[in-house]
Amino acid sequence: MTTLAIPQKLARLPGWIVLLVWTAAVLLPLYVLVVSCFKTTAEIYDNRLGLPRSWALDNFVRAWTRADLGHNFINSLIVTGGAVALTIVVSAMAAYPLSRYRLGWNGIMLGLFLSGIMLPIRLASVELFTLMRGLGLLDSLTGLILVYSAIRIPFAVFIFASFMRVLPSELDEAARMDGAGETRILFQIVLPMVKPAVSIVAIFTAIAVWNDFFFPLIFIFDDRYKTVPLAISVFVGQFRTDWGLVFASLAISMAPILIMYCLLARQIREGVGAGGGMK
Amino acid sequence: MLSETASHFSASCPSRPASLPHRTQRMTKLRRTTSLQHTQQRMAVLFILPALAIYGLFVLYPLLLSLWGSFFTWKGLRMQEFAGLANFSRLFVFPSGARLYGALWHNVAWFFGIILLQNGLGLLFAWLLFLRGRGAAFFQSVFFFPAVLSPVIVGALWRLLLAPGGIVEWALNGLGLHQGSLTVLGNSHTALGTLIAVDAWNWMGLPVLIYTAGLRQISPQVFEAAKLDGAGNARMLFSVALPLLMPALGTLTTLSFINTFNQFDIVYVMQGVQGNPSYATDTLVTYFYRLAFGAEGAVGITDIGLALALGTMLFLVLSIGTLLMLRFFDKRTVEL
Repeated sequence: MTTLAIPQKLARLPGWIVLLVWTAAVLLPLYVLVVSCFKTTAEIYDNRLGLPRSWALDNFVRAWTRADLGHNFINSLIVTGGAVALTIVVSAMAAYPLSRYRLGWNGIMLGLFLSGIMLPIRLASVELFTLMRGLGLLDSLTGLILVYSAIRIPFAVFIFASFMRVLPSELDEAARMDGAGETRILFQIVLPMVKPAVSIVAIFTAIAVWNDFFFPLIFIFDDRYKTVPLAISVFVGQFRTDWGLVFASLAISMAPILIMYCLLARQIREGVGAGGGMK
Repeated sequence: MLSETASHFSASCPSRPASLPHRTQRMTKLRRTTSLQHTQQRMAVLFILPALAIYGLFVLYPLLLSLWGSFFTWKGLRMQEFAGLANFSRLFVFPSGARLYGALWHNVAWFFGIILLQNGLGLLFAWLLFLRGRGAAFFQSVFFFPAVLSPVIVGALWRLLLAPGGIVEWALNGLGLHQGSLTVLGNSHTALGTLIAVDAWNWMGLPVLIYTAGLRQISPQVFEAAKLDGAGNARMLFSVALPLLMPALGTLTTLSFINTFNQFDIVYVMQGVQGNPSYATDTLVTYFYRLAFGAEGAVGITDIGLALALGTMLFLVLSIGTLLMLRFFDKRTVEL
């Protein structure tokens, strides 16, 4: 397979062109987004595709301070971090007995959790709103953390259970003989053995929560508690003509995801390929 | 799934006591097993409770209550009296009927558009990457990147790019493909198609990743045999690979179905909650949102009864549709 004959190489050319066209379709809009962040609105009109005249950070500063995106950014970080941590802890706890004990009701309970992967929870938003109002969880980051965890628990339990099921049973039996409690067995022996599951759950929960727009739209009214996607949806209308500012705020809001993606692209590709890990 | 769990336990548990050499040891082990099972039942309940409580309270309870509530009349957010199917019959007649059928049609068109544009092109890309092998990881990573972005960001980005005076208009005018101001988002004939294309741009990486994973699971001998029989690349894709990709096809079709019928974010950000222009991009969930949270008709007026009826209907469509699709693809799965 070292050297292909010339006609064979030529036959492959159209395929490469197709792949490169889509690569351009993905990268060009992102390139325009990045260079436009450094341009004034007038320059965006004059100089469509070129590099900016100067790499001025003016738009970023205005997005961060005047549009107060910094505040939304912190809210999103709190909600994402909280939901990821809570989802991992409670789902690992639930998956451990469901996958490793002989309870007689493992199957039914797992089924109850797994049915949640498909449930269209947005359609329950009216009753959820009433519930959240009753609990005093409107306009609250804690409320968002609880709702997101609830939505992500089914997928997390599914992932943890399928990883824990295949661990050798000697593992916890030996620890039990040594007198280790169940809590210790879970957190100090079983959980470290299923690190790939922890990272899959963490990555996909973080992406889903960071990106979600629907629940903040319904539950958050006070500017102080708005998350990034909700703030962006407001900016797009509010700063309609100030393109530089909107481009800069889009760039800021995708920065954490971009960094994570560059670091974890392989895990993400494999996680998705394995079974459509995303919702 | 029940049988899967059961078989795992029967495979791993009973053999263990028998392997112990001494009888006394076996007795203590048995006694320990029964007390262990008591502890395990108790610990299991304690361990499962937090997850079950959160999931039950914030997902199952509101969902069941919503289904139940669709059979009652509502005054604001307060449930009144049992109304049978009155909400459902109101849903299908004037003035709701036009909105409902419009939104339903847009969702159906969106679904087929995504199947064709996203899953179809995705199959082509995956096949090309599979044939080449080299560089696949790079292209996969690039193609998948938009899928990790919020649909809000994707929608906002394309709204700026496609705006009159925006860069797409400039590029099309420069290439001589279009003249004057570009108004694809303001034109009711082109708006829906444009949103579907943006959605496909957003999620293209998903079919590419799932199809390539599926293709790699097919034994290379199958392709070699087909090549020896003189099958070309196209023949190999449609007659050899595609039948073996049924599980991947099933996953993708089902996921596209669920995502399409939950479509909200892109419409909201690009066209507003009314699905502008003049409801041309309205979907079932944007209609649901307006009924439930008050932007249908006079601003701030909600119709919870109608919203819940729509929600119940959508729930049925989604569950039945998903089950039928899974069965359809399951039957067509070819084992080698």
